[in-house]
Amino acid sequence: MITGTGITKTFKQRGDVLGGRDVRALRGIDFAIEKGGAVSFIGESGCGKTTLGRIIAGLESWDSGEIVIDGTPMSSLRPRRRQPYFRKIQLIHQDPYSALNPTRTIYQTLQAPLALRARQAGRPKSWIGERAEELLSLVGIDPGYVLGRYPHQLSGGMRQRVVIARALTVDPEMLVADESVSMIDVSMRLSILALLKDLRERLGVSVLFITHDIATARYIGAEGELYVLYRGQVVERGLTESIITGPVHPYTQSLLSAIPVLHGLEQPGPERVVPTEALDERHADEGCLFARRCPFRTERCEKERPALVRGVEVAHERACFHPQRRSVIPVEAVA
Amino acid sequence: MTTNFPQAESAAVSPLVAAPGHATAPGVRVKDLTVVYRTPLGELPAVGGVSLTIEPGTITGIVGESGSGKSTLALSLLNAVQPPGRIKGGSVEIDGLGDVVKLGGDELRQARGRHLGYVFQAAQNSLNPLKTVGKQLLDLGRSHGVDDLRALVRDAKDLLERMGLDGARVLDSHQHELSGGMRQRVGIMLALVLNAQLVILDEPTTALDMITQATILRIVREVHKERGLTTLMVTHDIGVAAEVTDRLAVMYGGRVVEHGPTMEVLGAPSHPYTRGLIRAIPRLSGDIAEAQALPGRPPTLGTLPTAGCVFRERCPLRMDICETVDPRPLTHDRRTVACHAVERSHSTAEQEEYA
Amino acid sequence: MTVTTILPGSPGNTGATLRRNFWRGVGRVLRRKPSRIAGVGIVALFGAMALFGPMLYPAHLPRDNNALYAAPSLAHPFGTDFEGTDVLALVVTGSRYVILTGLATAVITVALGTALGLLAGFHRGRWDTVLMRITDMQLTIPGLPLLLVLSTIWKFQGPLEMGLVLGLLGWGGVARAVRSQTLSLRERGFIEAARGLGLSTRHIVGRELLPSMAPYIAMNVLIAVTGAIYAQVGLFFLGVLPFDSNNWGVMLNLAVFGGGALTSTAALPYLLAPLLAILLLTLGIVLIVDAMDEIFNPRLREE
Repeated sequence: MITGTGITKTFKQRGDVLGGRDVRALRGIDFAIEKGGAVSFIGESGCGKTTLGRIIAGLESWDSGEIVIDGTPMSSLRPRRRQPYFRKIQLIHQDPYSALNPTRTIYQTLQAPLALRARQAGRPKSWIGERAEELLSLVGIDPGYVLGRYPHQLSGGMRQRVVIARALTVDPEMLVADESVSMIDVSMRLSILALLKDLRERLGVSVLFITHDIATARYIGAEGELYVLYRGQVVERGLTESIITGPVHPYTQSLLSAIPVLHGLEQPGPERVVPTEALDERHADEGCLFARRCPFRTERCEKERPALVRGVEVAHERACFHPQRRSVIPVEAVA
Repeated sequence: MTTNFPQAESAAVSPLVAAPGHATAPGVRVKDLTVVYRTPLGELPAVGGVSLTIEPGTITGIVGESGSGKSTLALSLLNAVQPPGRIKGGSVEIDGLGDVVKLGGDELRQARGRHLGYVFQAAQNSLNPLKTVGKQLLDLGRSHGVDDLRALVRDAKDLLERMGLDGARVLDSHQHELSGGMRQRVGIMLALVLNAQLVILDEPTTALDMITQATILRIVREVHKERGLTTLMVTHDIGVAAEVTDRLAVMYGGRVVEHGPTMEVLGAPSHPYTRGLIRAIPRLSGDIAEAQALPGRPPTLGTLPTAGCVFRERCPLRMDICETVDPRPLTHDRRTVACHAVERSHSTAEQEEYA
Repeated sequence: MTVTTILPGSPGNTGATLRRNFWRGVGRVLRRKPSRIAGVGIVALFGAMALFGPMLYPAHLPRDNNALYAAPSLAHPFGTDFEGTDVLALVVTGSRYVILTGLATAVITVALGTALGLLAGFHRGRWDTVLMRITDMQLTIPGLPLLLVLSTIWKFQGPLEMGLVLGLLGWGGVARAVRSQTLSLRERGFIEAARGLGLSTRHIVGRELLPSMAPYIAMNVLIAVTGAIYAQVGLFFLGVLPFDSNNWGVMLNLAVFGGGALTSTAALPYLLAPLLAILLLTLGIVLIVDAMDEIFNPRLREE
């Protein structure tokens, strides 16, 4: 179980000698990920979802707030002592090409963490090879075929499976999948998603799924939780299926409306909004962060920042003064 | 009810950029086109004997995975296949231009830009980072011998404004000052500013955010209609193609395996690859548990079978004949499919009709 | 493409197989271009010259007072020098000093440069600041004037001492370059993954980072060798070092200043022979450098 409260992160942009502009990547985010759960972070690039994922995987520091892993608050530990906790959380990179060392064979790649593990647990050396084979079979590849090969000899899908197998060498409690299928051929994407789903169901590994594609989040776990991030803030949070069928925050509605409709199979959603793109990169930091792009904004939105609160009629938490449920996703065409 | 965002509305009613009167949308007829790449294993076909007719005035989507030959096919329409690739055979007839494969040198250079506009994959990188957009526009004009550069700049500004941008500001900007969506609009502007009537978009929305993608797709559709273009969109994303195209060509292993009206191809796919591909897309509507992965992986140049159907390794309908005979594309009810199993079911259906 | 199936249960076997495959790959890469074979041939020739050359000739080369500055002939392919000694013999026996110095310089340059660059780039922060200031100091030392001053108090008896001095004067560039490579590599997914898996810094630097930089390091070794050869030959040519050792630079000096090779033709072969040797050796090295990328990148090696 991993929880975070009030996580903030600001990137200092290097400007001139007089100082640069700071980028507020995360503005106080709370999250909780249960053991074996499926949680998705969605949003556009720059919303902070990747930064948050990297913080959760222990690859990035945070400015303020607390992260608690299995009951231990990380602020009570010095950074060096946090490593064993964060090791339970493994990041699956977006790019399976750079995630594997091109100069090492797959066996070498798996052997290093397994050897460490064997030493710690006092296991014989023979265990390393057996375990490597076992893990590769678990992720659905033939160990005999890949063990002696270099990453460049494998397809993107196979590489991503090897990356997952490598993450499993340390028996993680959670996998953080950051756009893990976006660089894989369309026909093979689903099999990687199915693998993640399967690992969750069979091994009880929780999956934190970071994506801009809500449909894939739905596939990983429709019963899981969905966090919609916008400019470093959670703007809507609730059960994945519930948010997809009835989003209440205008930003979530824009995101869902932007998903292409498979004409012939589907019809556009009845309340689809025409989303506005953020052409101007300079945003006001006053009031609701989404106000400038929001079709439903009022004067209040430009002055006050709405907090993330639970609704009455719809159980989602949302940061909006004018939440309204709208059905924006495509509906199946009647044959 | 459809809720329009106020800003979007104002963009939609901005004055149309007058389409030039002289030209009409050209049609394209690709016949038996074969494009090969030289490799240590010999010359391997990236596009193997493709025939494809693109009706004037349509938006046609070419969908395929990596290695399907879709980008190579698109480049062939400009006769711009780079070594080690070369067009080995076949023809590409474009109305008003003739066979592009036979064009060369200056003629070809003039044709690109004047007749054919190409929006490159990841327009992010197709701009010169050292020059402003305006300078690059003038370079383009000069290299095509445009006399009235003032008018060219005016057209460019109009086009950019049509796409919801501040034209003057964009022309004064360098690449790094523009967001992904703005660069893609600049790419579209540069492709259209010389009044090209055939526009080829190569992965126009890859690496763009969802909302930006939706906006760009809307712009593509609107500009296509206003300027009376023939548009070809190459993409790996069926959703993107479904959103904007009238007709859809599905490529696999250097072949067009299915081609027809988008609605019909998606609504009732015939080729087992198209069917598998559609089933492999996680969707927002319907039962997500029905999504199913397509087994195996797409072929590369090196693993492409030399005889028989290119898809047979992954095909659930595989028959003996698929091992040896490459299925011919057969047209039936405006739809073309290259599959032995589909061919057989059609012929049995016909026999039953006559019986 | 070679298909290798490795029995995972026997890691020892794996290592041996990998090494065997590596050398097989190296052979394949070199055979891809005739120029590379030529490069290897040339470098091997000079290597053999340095190793065995001096053994072929007596410790004191014979002089022939009847043939001073003799023209090239069968007996003396490059003629003779001012004492009537065979020029070819001088080139061959002089090669050991030159090549040993080159190697010593390269080893010191690259070992120091790589170690400091890796340390600075991997740890960043304070380490980086301190090490890079030291590097900058090294880079600002004017090499030639310092050597001139040093040569007045130190006689550079052997090639290794010479190499040590040249090496200590030359590692700064490599350190800077290795640091910037390390900085970019450490952001790569596989390094990040190794840290996330809790692997030791020794493993990450030695097993993950270093092999990725191997082509780069190997290239620097080769380039350092040529640089060191030029530098020492230059020093001897200028005559700032005592002439008691046999060296190509000494030959050049004597040919120009003693034999007047620039004005008369008699000493020309005496001048050209060491020049040709330097040129040939450099050419050989440059031809091999071209293969380094392919040797250390498994993708380019195996294809």
